[in-house]
Amino acid sequence: MKAGKVKRKTLVAREDLVDRLSEVAKQRGYSLYAMVNEVLELAVKAEETGVDLKRVVEERDILEAAREAGFILGLESLWYEMAELAYEKARSRALKSWFEAGVWLAKRYATGEVEDAFAAFKKDLEAFTWNALEFTIEKAGEKVSVRIISPRFTESYTVLFTSLLEGALDTFGYKIANKEISRGAIRLEALQGGS
Amino acid sequence: MTQPKGKKLVYVPEDLLEEVAKASRGRGETISKFVEEALRQAVRVNKAGYDPQQLAEYFEVMQAQRVLGGAFVPLEVLNYLTNKTCREEKEQLSAKWYESGKWHGKYLKEKFENPTQAFKAFLEASRWDLNEVEIKKEGEKVKVRCVSTVLTAEATELLAKFIEGAMHSIGYKTVKSEYVKGMIVLELSEGF
Repeated sequence: MKAGKVKRKTLVAREDLVDRLSEVAKQRGYSLYAMVNEVLELAVKAEETGVDLKRVVEERDILEAAREAGFILGLESLWYEMAELAYEKARSRALKSWFEAGVWLAKRYATGEVEDAFAAFKKDLEAFTWNALEFTIEKAGEKVSVRIISPRFTESYTVLFTSLLEGALDTFGYKIANKEISRGAIRLEALQGGS
Repeated sequence: MTQPKGKKLVYVPEDLLEEVAKASRGRGETISKFVEEALRQAVRVNKAGYDPQQLAEYFEVMQAQRVLGGAFVPLEVLNYLTNKTCREEKEQLSAKWYESGKWHGKYLKEKFENPTQAFKAFLEASRWDLNEVEIKKEGEKVKVRCVSTVLTAEATELLAKFIEGAMHSIGYKTVKSEYVKGMIVLELSEGF
């Protein structure tokens, strides 16, 4: 008997979910038993590292969205050091490059088919900037406020990242009305049309 | 045995059930709720076109990034930074990428039974500017081949250094290293 080696027990689960998972298993050439095991093993593993499975799935979605938005994932210390070098050597070119990246990013949403381009941009950028301790973009009427706190940002990275935000806000039609930046802290206020 | 309406029984190995019970207790949830959420996410994952195994690989990548300090940067910006800094500070930059690779390799060696496979999964999941990633083990040798249609010559060279650093930490030494714009071919052997 095949199952003799592994002691099995039963679990009660919602019928509709089991049926749907059973269909998925069939499509993938798995048995329901193997599929359920794989899913539960992953859920337990995630839990052991302090993350729930829902979050794992959401993070997968973030990776996918970042890929589509043209972002690369790498070690932040490396990005900071490269930003330092570039900023030191050619400040205005570096700023322009980050500003243009912000323009490109915002255009991707503005020209896409999403219903609320700014909301989609905000959601994704907040997710991509997971290395920041705090990152909020708030829109109220004609005003947008951005606040970032990240003690790990270097001074030049802070300035360059601000430039990216300015490029994106500009593309959405917002003009900077107030800007406060210091190492690891960005606070921007922008108004629609710059009025 | 009576079953509640709208419920089904599923079989799971006894040891896994114990782990599920432990994890659900840790969350302050019932086993049923924990299992229900896991199954719901599995269905969601399938709708997005991938399976739990792929999700597990992504999870490992994200976990490594959390530990090592990963951050997203626009590819255009990366290319600019690479081209700008690489021309003027080539050696310094190459050393930094190599060191970063070494850090990464060390982590993978500590955490994974098959660090080479984990590194391949990492490259595939995070470096989507690569069209192909191949890491093939042949006896005591490993061949690494990466192809990209968008990488600049400078970015290719830096990525090659990163890969070498990671593979050295995993325990390989470079036998042959070739890179041209958009293509990296490394041959390594055990015993670094």
